[in-house]
Amino acid sequence: MSTQNRTSTEDEYDILSQHYGGRSRLRQTLAAQREIFRGERLGQIGLLLLAIFLFVGLFAPLLAPYDAQEKLRTDDGEIKRMEAPSTEHLLGTTRLGRDVLSQVLIGTRIALIVGSLGAFMSVFIGTNMGLISGYFGGWTDDILMRLTDIIYGVPFLPFVIVLVVILGPSLLNVILAIALVQWRSTARVIRSQVLTIKERPYIEAARAAGGSDVRVLYTHILPNVLPLVFLYGAFSVGWAVIAEASVSFLGFGDPLSVSWGKMLFTAYTANAIRTAWWWVIPPGLSINLLVISVFLIGRTYEKVSNPELRERE
Amino acid sequence: MGMKEFVVRRIGQLAVTYWAFLTILFLLFRIVPGDPTTMFVAQGLSGEARKEVIENLGLNEPLHIQYVDYIFQVLQGNFGTSFQYREPVAGIIVTKFWNTIFLMLGAITLAYMIGILGGALLAWWRGTDREIVGLLATLVARSSPTFWTGIVLIMVFVFWLKWFPAGGIRSVGADYNGFVDKFVSVDFLYHVALPMLTGAIYYMATPTLLMRNTMLEILNEDFIKMKKAEGLSQYTILYKHAVRNSLLPIVTIIALVAGKAIGGQLLIEVVFNWPGMGRAMVTAVSYNDYPVAMAAFFLMGSVVILLNFAADLLYAHFDPRVTYE
Amino acid sequence: MTLLEIETLKTYYHTETGDVHAVDGVSLSLSRNETLGLVGESGSGKTTIAESINRILPENGEVVDGSIVYDGVNLTELSEKELQKYRWNDVSLIPQSAMNAFDPVYTIEEQIVEVIRAHRPDTSKAEARERAQELFEFVDLDPERVTDYPHQFSGGMKQRAAIAIALALDPPILLADEPTTALDVIIQDQILERIKDLQAEINSAMIMITHDISVVSETCDEIAVVYGGRIVEYTDTETVINEPHHPYTMGLRNAFPSIAEGDQELISIPGSPPELVNPEEGCRFADRCPFAEEECYEKTPQPREVAEGHVVECHRADEAEELRPEANKKEAWTEERPKDAAAGQEGYSND
Repeated sequence: MSTQNRTSTEDEYDILSQHYGGRSRLRQTLAAQREIFRGERLGQIGLLLLAIFLFVGLFAPLLAPYDAQEKLRTDDGEIKRMEAPSTEHLLGTTRLGRDVLSQVLIGTRIALIVGSLGAFMSVFIGTNMGLISGYFGGWTDDILMRLTDIIYGVPFLPFVIVLVVILGPSLLNVILAIALVQWRSTARVIRSQVLTIKERPYIEAARAAGGSDVRVLYTHILPNVLPLVFLYGAFSVGWAVIAEASVSFLGFGDPLSVSWGKMLFTAYTANAIRTAWWWVIPPGLSINLLVISVFLIGRTYEKVSNPELRERE
Repeated sequence: MGMKEFVVRRIGQLAVTYWAFLTILFLLFRIVPGDPTTMFVAQGLSGEARKEVIENLGLNEPLHIQYVDYIFQVLQGNFGTSFQYREPVAGIIVTKFWNTIFLMLGAITLAYMIGILGGALLAWWRGTDREIVGLLATLVARSSPTFWTGIVLIMVFVFWLKWFPAGGIRSVGADYNGFVDKFVSVDFLYHVALPMLTGAIYYMATPTLLMRNTMLEILNEDFIKMKKAEGLSQYTILYKHAVRNSLLPIVTIIALVAGKAIGGQLLIEVVFNWPGMGRAMVTAVSYNDYPVAMAAFFLMGSVVILLNFAADLLYAHFDPRVTYE
Repeated sequence: MTLLEIETLKTYYHTETGDVHAVDGVSLSLSRNETLGLVGESGSGKTTIAESINRILPENGEVVDGSIVYDGVNLTELSEKELQKYRWNDVSLIPQSAMNAFDPVYTIEEQIVEVIRAHRPDTSKAEARERAQELFEFVDLDPERVTDYPHQFSGGMKQRAAIAIALALDPPILLADEPTTALDVIIQDQILERIKDLQAEINSAMIMITHDISVVSETCDEIAVVYGGRIVEYTDTETVINEPHHPYTMGLRNAFPSIAEGDQELISIPGSPPELVNPEEGCRFADRCPFAEEECYEKTPQPREVAEGHVVECHRADEAEELRPEANKKEAWTEERPKDAAAGQEGYSND
């Protein structure tokens, strides 16, 4: 029956991961991680990109040549409005005389915070929902899966906007709103994975040995779905970054912080896309690169977990 | 189980989902911190007038009565009066609804055309450099939020090449008579081209990648080898058999793509000044025009839920195995 | 009259670890109306031989040498497009498992009509449909059910439908790849019978591929025994059954009840099929052969004619008369030989 067969969800990756082979060993060691990325050029590029972003995010205030929020003036006190790139301002300035490069560098922080926190929260909720639903089955499963179905009926971005407007525009509220919807894809995939794992002999054995449900669930089943959790974690980072940028672009973002989405919002409302490309391209490209990096990393995990996708010799 | 039972069960689920959605909507807009009445009563009214409005709207009733009343109102298509326009919301939103739907359908159709052909080609090109280039292009498209894609397209096609207008749904002074005329005209196509392409670029990744992976599985099936042995042309095997079989999963995710489209749509409408539901919602929220915002939200959710439902039925129809199991 | 002549055919699978010599110098000929049996274990290369004829090999498979001449045309030299005309029209295939032989989203009728009209564009749809029903009657299926989808058929019915579609164009050559293994014994017999009758009716030649020597002994005129990508013995059925010259053929004969002599115990050949990645010099059966000598490990035996039309690839073929009674004894196969002991091989049924 289709509704049950379909674990298809938020994104293409969900469907692909149905075939997830449960290759998991109890503990994913660093060595195993290195093994995963060996020979995966695209995955390595993803890791490198992400490492660069992490570096920039950590040291942004040191790297930024100017205060991102400061209205810069020339020596005679004029505001430097929309100046084209120069040696002094590598990426030019905004309409209010702010340094674009500094804004992009500082904006990396918001993207990384939203990406990691949003992904963590949604994967945390989704994993637990999936574990409980798949493990206990019966009416627990029915209720949780109906709930997931219902969340699937909620249009994502409009929901986030309404929630942010109601709760107030702060970074934490944006993250919360993202997580409240985003968990749905993780939940479905984890659940279907748990359904197969719980039939395995060693799980039966653990239960027969008198392990409590909570123990069996979190010490025996969870480690087996961890690679899938990582996979969804990686993709969730990408989705969260896009979502935050979108909310900010619409003007509903945190008014106090500098983010890429907000830079594009100001640039767009200032009609700069006609005149000041240097103000528009850098934040947009940064979004692209950050999201691509996590997608490439996720894709590598997926290839490992799904032999069907591996290239044949 | 039979097709009939399947449909009945699915309708039951639809009703539950719909009810839950309405409830979420109610909760979102009424049980919020602060005084919920401020969301439904225009600002700047005198105490007396304000009280009257509250009574008219039933906001002084207990919550459960309001809830029941709200469900009935919404089901009748009554969303109250817009604060901003001082008109019934339904009238305002209907035109915008169709503007949104036409743009979205166009974008999704285009995305599916690109996705099905592209995904089939990617599967065919497996292991070659072309495949990697294609996959990267898909990932780039998927990693660009619609507003960003839209901005890039505007920079290239509007400001640089000057091929298309920057936004809007029709040229100044252009007039139309009736519904059909509005959406079937050169002027409309001229305006819809860029927003449609923007949407298609964003939505196409899902069908492309799914198509590719399903195709790879299908191409390994025994019957493909048999069709080859039967001496059918490569073209026939690829498009009539492999693609046709790969379409089944793709059909079921139309709803998911549409669900994502509704969100992406909102950004496209803002970037291209498209007078649709999404933009109406953003404007309404900014003006605290909650009745309009709620109606727009309700309609967007309805589209997602109904499409989900339709996709399931379509799937059952397409794959004769589904209902027989 | 020779219909199909295969000469020193070599088909390799290119893999990461090297080329698998799945078919390594095979010569065969097939006359009109003849039924030829290809017998061997799974992995011996018999299916690859068939797939080389109409070139439906897996992606990494390639005919690297040799010729396949059909009706004066060397099929190996044809382009993919030129070959399309020959597929099904001249060489059709009854697959090993009909379970997944049909496209699940079209009815059987649509698929039969498709193949007919692909090769005979002049045929009208109505005519093709009529033909489909006729074919169903031919294979004892209810013609009414031709408009069913594949999943509505049982395994046996699908197999019959697969035979029906194979006969659609009255092909001069039928390739039957284990056409009955997926079915239970009673249906197996029925279907084999039917294939035989039909083949006689439409006057086609057939290559029957199987691991079951008893199947070929009942249906085939000639038998080619395939081992490790080579044909180790090739002659008429009676000689193969009664006077096998190759130890492997003797072993195969022991492993099947219907032809094993008298109340003799069934003996299976221990060991497993040889590795075919860049094979070394030497007889490929030597590791499992009870009669292997020094020479067998060092030199690859070449085909030689021990009697008219009886080709064997064995260094000890001349001693066949003496070896045959030995081969009927169980000890000959189960006794551990020094080489085996070192390799630590386990007993292995040959199916």
